[in-house]
Amino acid sequence: MLRNNIGVHLTIALALILIAALAGGVRKWKKAAERSRQTVSHPVPDTDDQESKSGEEDDTDKAEVLVRFRAGTTREIIDRITRQFHDEVEDRIESVDGLDVIEDEDGQSAADVVAQYRALPEVEYAETNSAILLDHEDRGRKHLHADDEMFFRQWGLSNGGENGGLAGADISAMRAWAVTTGSDQIVVAVIDSGVDYTHPDLVKNIWTRPEIIKAYNDDDLGAVDDVHGFNVVDDNDDPMDDNGHGTHCAGIIGAEGGNGIGIAGVNWNVKIMPLRFMDGDGAGTTKDAIEAINYVIDRKRAGVNVRIISASWGSHTRSRALEDVIRKAYDEGILFVAAAGNAGTDNDQTPHYPSSYNLGNIVSVAATNRGDQLASFSNYGAKSVQVAAPGEEILSTWLEHGFTEKKGTSMATPFVAGVAALILSQNPKMSVDDLRTQLLKSVDPLASLKGKVSTGGRINAAKAVGAE
Amino acid sequence: MVSDDNATLVRARRDLAERLGISKDDVVMKSVEPADFPDAALGAPLADEMSAQVITPGWRIILKAGETNYEYRATARQLRLVNFNGKNYRI
Repeated sequence: MLRNNIGVHLTIALALILIAALAGGVRKWKKAAERSRQTVSHPVPDTDDQESKSGEEDDTDKAEVLVRFRAGTTREIIDRITRQFHDEVEDRIESVDGLDVIEDEDGQSAADVVAQYRALPEVEYAETNSAILLDHEDRGRKHLHADDEMFFRQWGLSNGGENGGLAGADISAMRAWAVTTGSDQIVVAVIDSGVDYTHPDLVKNIWTRPEIIKAYNDDDLGAVDDVHGFNVVDDNDDPMDDNGHGTHCAGIIGAEGGNGIGIAGVNWNVKIMPLRFMDGDGAGTTKDAIEAINYVIDRKRAGVNVRIISASWGSHTRSRALEDVIRKAYDEGILFVAAAGNAGTDNDQTPHYPSSYNLGNIVSVAATNRGDQLASFSNYGAKSVQVAAPGEEILSTWLEHGFTEKKGTSMATPFVAGVAALILSQNPKMSVDDLRTQLLKSVDPLASLKGKVSTGGRINAAKAVGAE
Repeated sequence: MVSDDNATLVRARRDLAERLGISKDDVVMKSVEPADFPDAALGAPLADEMSAQVITPGWRIILKAGETNYEYRATARQLRLVNFNGKNYRI
C-alpha cells in the first residue's frame, strides 16, 4: 500500500515539475517576442542564445536610452522628470556631465522614450542605447557604433526610422565600419569652396603635404607652398573655406569618427586634400575648376596617393577643356565623383556637367531622402546617372567649427566618394576601373530608383567593403 | 512683408533702372517671395560658371517696369538678374 502511494506521489511530483518547466518556457518566448517588437535596428537573438551569451535576465526587456541633460539641470529636476515619465536613472556616466542612462519602466519603446526626452528643454540630446553586438539574426554580421555626439542625427549612415524615415534607408555604415573605418593612407581631393582645415572634427583628417613631396609649381605663380592644398580663386596656398559648402562635403567624407564629438564621416580616418575654386558665394569658373583638377593630377604624379576627386558642383555648360582634364585624371587612376544636379530633371535629356561626361572614371550621383525615395529636387538619368546616396537633411561640419544640415546632390556626392575611400582602404592598389565597378555593384536596388539611375540603387558601404 | 527701402530691393531697382535707362521711380516691386534655388548660383549661372549643387534658400524678386516683369534672385550675399536679354547677371 505504502509503495503504491509513493509511486502515485512521485508521478504527481514529476508531472508538476514538467508543467512548471513548460510554463517557464512560454514566458521566455513571450518576452523574446516583446523585445523583437521594441528593438528596431538590432533584432534580438533567440532566447537561448541570449541567455548563454549575456546571462542577463528580465532587465534586457526594458528600453534603455542615453540622455544628456543640459548644464545646470539639477539632480532634483532630473529625478522629477524621470519619475514623471515612469523611468529610472539606471546609471550615471561620471566622466560626462549630465549624461545618464535612463531605463523605461512602463513598457515604452526606445524610440518613444528618446522622443519624450528630446522634446524637453532640459535635454541636450537623447539617443537609443545601440549595442555593439553580434547580430544573430543577421547571419553573424557585426556593427560598429560611432560615439560621436551627433551621430544619432546622421540618418544617411544609420537610419532607425526616426522623423518619418524608413529604418534601414542608409548606407549601412555601421556594418561597413566593422570591417574598415578608412585609412589615413588614402587621400580624397575635395574640389570645392575650400575646407576649414582647423575644424575640430576635421583637423586630424586634413592632408598635409609630406616633406618628401616637392611643393607645387604653378606656371604663373611659381612655387606654391601647398601645405594643405591649393586656392585657385586667390592664387595662393591657403584653401580656407569662407562659404561652408566645401567644409560640409569634407565632413561627410571624413569627419573624424569615434572621437566623441560632432559627427562621423563615412571614413573615420582618411586624408582630405582641400581645393578652393569656388568663392564665398559658392560659384567658380570652368577655368578654375580645370586648374584645381590639374593640381590634383600634378600631386598624384609627384607621389601623393590621391585617388578620388569629390566634385559637388556643375552647370549645364559643356566644356571640352574640362572634359579633357578629367580624362587626364582618369589616365592617372583618379576616380571623379560628381553631383548630378538639383533641377529635378532627366540628365539623359538635359545633361549636367561634369557629371554627364561619358568618361570611364566618372560616377554621377543622385540624391535620396530618409525614406529611400529619390529626392524631389534630384536630377536623375537611367543612362547618365549611376547611383544615388543620401542627400537630404544631411548634417555635417560647417564654418566657425559648427555643424549644420544641408540638402542637394552636393551632399550625396561625398557619400559615394567616401565609400570609394573605404574600398581603397582595404585595397589601395585597386585600379580606377575596378574601383568604379565595385562601387556600382555595391548598391541596394530600390523600386524608387528603377529607371532613374543606371544601377537602380542607393550606395551600400557594407556591400562595398565585403561586409555583406 | 519686405519694405521698399530694403537694401537688396534698392540695389535691384537701381540696377534695373540703369539697364533700362529709366528713373528708379519707374521701377516698382511686384512681388518678393521666399524660394529654394537648385544651386549656389541661384539657378541663374553666368556663361562660364560652375556652382555648388546645394539647395540654396533665398528670395525671388519680381520688378516691373512699364508692362514688363523682370526677375531677380537674392540671398543675403548675392543678387542676380535672370534672363535679361537672354543672359544672367551677377550684380
